[in-house]
Amino acid sequence: MAEASTTSLADSFAIQWRVIRALFLRELITRFGRDNLGVLWLVGEPMLFTLGVTTLWSLAGLAHKGSGIPIVAFAVTGYSSVLMWRNSASQCTHAIEGNRPLLFHRSVQAIDVCLARIALEVTGATGSFIFLSSFFTYLGWMQPPDNIALVIEGWLMLAWFGASLALLIGAACVFSDLVHRLWQPVSYILFPMSGAAFMVDWMPKKMQGLVLYLPMVHGVELLRHGYFGTVVKTHYDLGYMAGFCLVLTLCAVYLVRVAGHRIEF
Amino acid sequence: MITAWLRGHLLFTFAVLVPTVCSVLYFSLIASDVYVSESHFIVSSSENAMPSGGIAEMLMGASLSHGQSDSSQVHDYILSRDALKELSERLKIEQIFAHREANFFDRFPGLTGGRSFEELFLYYTKHVSVEPDPMSSISVLSVRAFTPEDARRINAELLDMSERLVNTLNERSRRDLIQFADNEVKIASDKAKDAAVALLSYRSNQTVYEPNKEAAIQLEGVSKLHQQLITTEAEIAEIRKLSPDNPQIAGLEGSADLLRKTINAETGKVTSSSGSFSARAPTFERLQLDVEFADKQLGMALAELESARAEAQKKQIYLERLTQPSVQDKAMEPRRIRSIITAFIVSLLFWGIATILVATVREHGE
Repeated sequence: MAEASTTSLADSFAIQWRVIRALFLRELITRFGRDNLGVLWLVGEPMLFTLGVTTLWSLAGLAHKGSGIPIVAFAVTGYSSVLMWRNSASQCTHAIEGNRPLLFHRSVQAIDVCLARIALEVTGATGSFIFLSSFFTYLGWMQPPDNIALVIEGWLMLAWFGASLALLIGAACVFSDLVHRLWQPVSYILFPMSGAAFMVDWMPKKMQGLVLYLPMVHGVELLRHGYFGTVVKTHYDLGYMAGFCLVLTLCAVYLVRVAGHRIEF
Repeated sequence: MITAWLRGHLLFTFAVLVPTVCSVLYFSLIASDVYVSESHFIVSSSENAMPSGGIAEMLMGASLSHGQSDSSQVHDYILSRDALKELSERLKIEQIFAHREANFFDRFPGLTGGRSFEELFLYYTKHVSVEPDPMSSISVLSVRAFTPEDARRINAELLDMSERLVNTLNERSRRDLIQFADNEVKIASDKAKDAAVALLSYRSNQTVYEPNKEAAIQLEGVSKLHQQLITTEAEIAEIRKLSPDNPQIAGLEGSADLLRKTINAETGKVTSSSGSFSARAPTFERLQLDVEFADKQLGMALAELESARAEAQKKQIYLERLTQPSVQDKAMEPRRIRSIITAFIVSLLFWGIATILVATVREHGE
């Protein structure tokens, strides 16, 4: 392996860990500042998004269909999952370019910048999901989850997908500005198809087959299976989602590495 | 030399070689043959199978949901604890799943070693599946076991049990539908019988059949007597005019008197207050109305029962076997080669990610 390395793998990892942590805090301060709520906006921002969407969907009476799912729970589980992958990816579009000066430091790599931003988004989305679901459960608008282990499993899968997608998008943006331009419309088109606003079971069989090509649909279905239990019929294939994420991750880490080197030299 | 290479490529060894070798070992030596028995059935109700054409047919086609809910009843039952309980009473399913030749991982008590009913149920749901096809409403029941015959037996037994379930459901819905109408018929027929009996006993007690008609006959008789009386009186008057001393007069007057008396008596029978036809008429009328009313009610109740029967017939659901449980002569599962290749590819992916990540981590320390 790399002959030039003077430090052990564990030490290198410790350095990387410190770098990512520092970048995380730096991002936190630069994005949310210290004014009014300050870093609480990390959770507050996605929460407001989710609240808005929940209100809209409640008014529009989505998710009726006699499915027995209360609309608030449906919106919270659905929209939080979208935030996971969409915000991570959107935040990463400028991560490498925007932090170009930092990358000239020996110990700051392109992947660190992206990972810090992803960690920020995942933390925010997770915090908002936990806060909103416990708050609504307290109000009695939502039931507590049926099977927490499955909810966590679905959430982690979504986080994995979000992270690998974000890395890929972030790295691809270095090669072409087009990716950044295209990502916005693509993410908007993906949102209604992502399973946040529907259950796969509501679809006609043909549509189900198409929709299940999208990996995030599996994650949302798993999340809802965990949350609502057998009240809803869910369709998901963890193997498919894991395989998709695995390939995506490989492409992402490779591309980020290439992108990082391209920026530095 | 090989060990030196392996040591030099630790990551590759652990991420790719070890898992692949493990999967090759597992799938070639350990994994037990699993035989799948499949059967196809369809749950339909005669309501859906109604012969119709044109728009009606299109509409019926659109409302497949009924048949779907019927088949989901069966699916739910097959994957229920009740079904497993019944199955284990009939087939000793625990022994089938704990087959001796099956390897430790695939066999029933398995790694956890628990033999509780819940664990058996968990195992059962992993080896029995019912897949509905919403387009054709055909259901596919597949059972996995360690011998082809076991799989077939479980499958056949499950089909039998499902048929029994469908029959029970039919019986119950038929009973529910018909019971009410049946009760109505019973009540109505009791009423009709009571009314008829009351009328009959009134007739025999009062020695009368139909007071109105009888009164009419009576009055007809009276009017004839009246006519006779008038004729007699006219005769008397005529004879008196011609020969007042005619001895015939006394006889004629006698018969006229008799006629008058008879007329009075006969009219009394029709109109007098006690025991006459007119006194009996109201009671009789009422009884007769009762009989008519009860008859009509009975007719209606019978019609309702008939329509309830027809309705029940329509709601009847059937489980039709399209194919009998199949018997595989070669174990198609586990898919050994495919699984090994999958394991190899997945571990390659892991290795790729890990290599890049490790290289990235190392760059931090340079």
